Amino acid sequence: MGGISRALPVLLACVTALMLPSRTVAQTDLEYQVKAAFLLNFAKFVEWPSSAFTDSDSPIAICILGKDPFGRAIDDLVQGEAADGRKLIVRRTSQLPAPQACQVAFVEGSTKDVAKIVNGLGRGVLTVGEGGSFLREGGIIAFVIENRRVRFDINQTAAESAALKLSSKLLSVARSIEK
Amino acid sequence: MRTFRDIPIRQKLVIIIMATTTAALLVAGFGIVLTDSLLFRGYLRRDLSALARIIADNSTAALAFNDPKSAAETLGALRARPHVVGACIYRLDGSILARYSRQGASACPAPDDRDEIRFTSQGVIVAQPILLSGHRIGTLMLFYDLDEIAERITLYGSTVFGVLLASSLLAFLLSSKLRAVIATPISQLVRATTSVSETGDYSTRAEKLSGDELGVLVDRFNEMLAGIQSRDQELKREREQFRFMAESMPQKIFTAAPAGGIDYFNRQWMEYSGLSFEQIKDWGWTQFVHPDDLEENVRSWRQSIDTGEPFTFEHRIRRADGKYRWHLSRAHAMLDAYGNISMWIGSNTDIHEQKEKEEALRRANDDLQQFAYSASHDLQEPIRNVAVYSEIVAQRYHSVLDADGQQFLGFLKEGGRRLATLVNDLLAYTRAGTAEINETAVDSSAVLKHSLSSLAEAIRESNAQVTYDALPEVYMGEAHLQQVLQNLIGNALKYRDQDPPRIHVSAVGRGAVWCFSVQDNGIGIDPQFKEIIFGVFKRLHHDRTYSGTGIGLAICQRVVERYGGRIWVESEPGKGATFFFTVPQRAQSVRAAALDSSTG
Repeated sequence: MGGISRALPVLLACVTALMLPSRTVAQTDLEYQVKAAFLLNFAKFVEWPSSAFTDSDSPIAICILGKDPFGRAIDDLVQGEAADGRKLIVRRTSQLPAPQACQVAFVEGSTKDVAKIVNGLGRGVLTVGEGGSFLREGGIIAFVIENRRVRFDINQTAAESAALKLSSKLLSVARSIEK
Repeated sequence: MRTFRDIPIRQKLVIIIMATTTAALLVAGFGIVLTDSLLFRGYLRRDLSALARIIADNSTAALAFNDPKSAAETLGALRARPHVVGACIYRLDGSILARYSRQGASACPAPDDRDEIRFTSQGVIVAQPILLSGHRIGTLMLFYDLDEIAERITLYGSTVFGVLLASSLLAFLLSSKLRAVIATPISQLVRATTSVSETGDYSTRAEKLSGDELGVLVDRFNEMLAGIQSRDQELKREREQFRFMAESMPQKIFTAAPAGGIDYFNRQWMEYSGLSFEQIKDWGWTQFVHPDDLEENVRSWRQSIDTGEPFTFEHRIRRADGKYRWHLSRAHAMLDAYGNISMWIGSNTDIHEQKEKEEALRRANDDLQQFAYSASHDLQEPIRNVAVYSEIVAQRYHSVLDADGQQFLGFLKEGGRRLATLVNDLLAYTRAGTAEINETAVDSSAVLKHSLSSLAEAIRESNAQVTYDALPEVYMGEAHLQQVLQNLIGNALKYRDQDPPRIHVSAVGRGAVWCFSVQDNGIGIDPQFKEIIFGVFKRLHHDRTYSGTGIGLAICQRVVERYGGRIWVESEPGKGATFFFTVPQRAQSVRAAALDSSTG
């Protein structure tokens, strides 16, 4: 069993906590724990072109660009996880990564010049951000909070232009999809 | 209540067809339902497994991104499957992400530990793991009711029942057709047989309606009828011939049923009796039999009816003018192929004249016998006187008589002696016909010994050798038997050759009689005289060589016939002679024979 399988029940149990009226630090931690789990799961519903990897054995790298809101939680989750036969790993970088270095790129909500970063990443990278504006700036998946629950929107046009195929299952659970 | 055996064939056919159809359909239906329920379980297992996999697969994203709404939508697709009672998606920790229920809320039990499809009495429970990238992220449970199986069984059942009803109806409708094929020819045959047996009209024919076994049956039946018809006609013709013959005969003829009732008298009967057939038929004939003869007549007729023995009776029958005439009535039973009496045929012969002549003859015979008896009896006294006084003359006047006188006296004595013998024999002969009958058994060996001792002197003189076998007991008067044996042995001694006589006496059982034989080596008898020698005073040898009165064998015959026996001789001249006589072995037949010979 992978880490996420072990972690998810715990996380999901915490989701109820998100429904509490006031937000706390602990709540914020919980929010990012859920988002970390989602981030991992996204990798499992997306199909990358082979050009996105250096070779057939290369892992799927989840890169946290700039500020890291997850901490060690995401490292624990990614432990032993795999998707489509490729290992999942987490990378942290403050600079724009090299081509084929990242397959998933998370951009924290408070980051500036999001559009520039997204454009700089190029094709073959699933860009995940926070807030409703992330999609307008060219991002593919944006976390949103709705009714104190973590949900996400998808910009399918952006996904297509990044040469990524998003699973219809993923689309079916998205809050909204832009085309 | 009528059993199946007794109901008409038409109904039997219907029942057989319906029973066969029902049985076949029930077996087929049961087989189909059984096979289907087995196949259907397999099918259901595969179907539910596939369904669960699809639902589970479609739920991965909802589970991965904790989206109960999406999961509920996915489960909502199950609405298309009305037999899915409920479904639950569990997270890995066992909490419920989404549930689906066909009718209202249904509880989701704790998820199964085992991933499998279980058939329970309530329904089918499917536990399907939900996997994402090879890792389990939750469990799907489906609850499926068994209504579908029940529905299918109901469907098959109602189909079988429907087919059953339809085929029964069809069989019932077909039965009218089948009646034409099987039952109608049989009914027709039954009608024909009934008609024949009721009317006795053998010209009836059954109509052939088919070429099958029933047709053959009809053909054979018709052939049988034709055979019976021709035999019937033949019988009628024969009966007519018999009637014609009976009517044209001068004799009186009748026929009787096996029970004894007279069913036919010929014309001669009606003419003789002056009565109509109606008056004398059955037992009406008893009115014209003489009252003195009637009782014995009826008894004898009944005995014949009971035993089948031929009927013979002499009785007086009243003529139209009221006079009774003696008739000899005879009747014989005709037997059928099975030995049962089919009828009696009888005749009645007028023997009145003959009877009267016989009576006159018997009276004359009786008179003659009485005369002979009295004469020989009365003659004894004067004959004795002749012997006595000629002896006295011979003694007292011996010296007075000359030689001629002596010779004449000798002739007188010899004549007197011969006359005495003759009269004694005659007396014996007449007595042989009138003597009493002995009903107790007599040892014939002892009787033979007495005979031999009486003949001892003659045996010694002739130097004869007499031998004999073991002899039986017989129901015959001792004196009578001795008379016969003594006469026969005496003859054998008398008619001898130059050689000393060798005589052998024996007896063998032959049927109901003992056959005695007395064999000798004497001069024998020419076959042409075989009968004559038994007559009274019949002598073959009149010379002096052989003395005798010529009555001995006549006495023997009279005695033997008195007991219902027979006497005869077998011989050739010069080769000796054997005399045979028979005696019935049983006292009853001796008695019957005695009665017979006394009345006849």
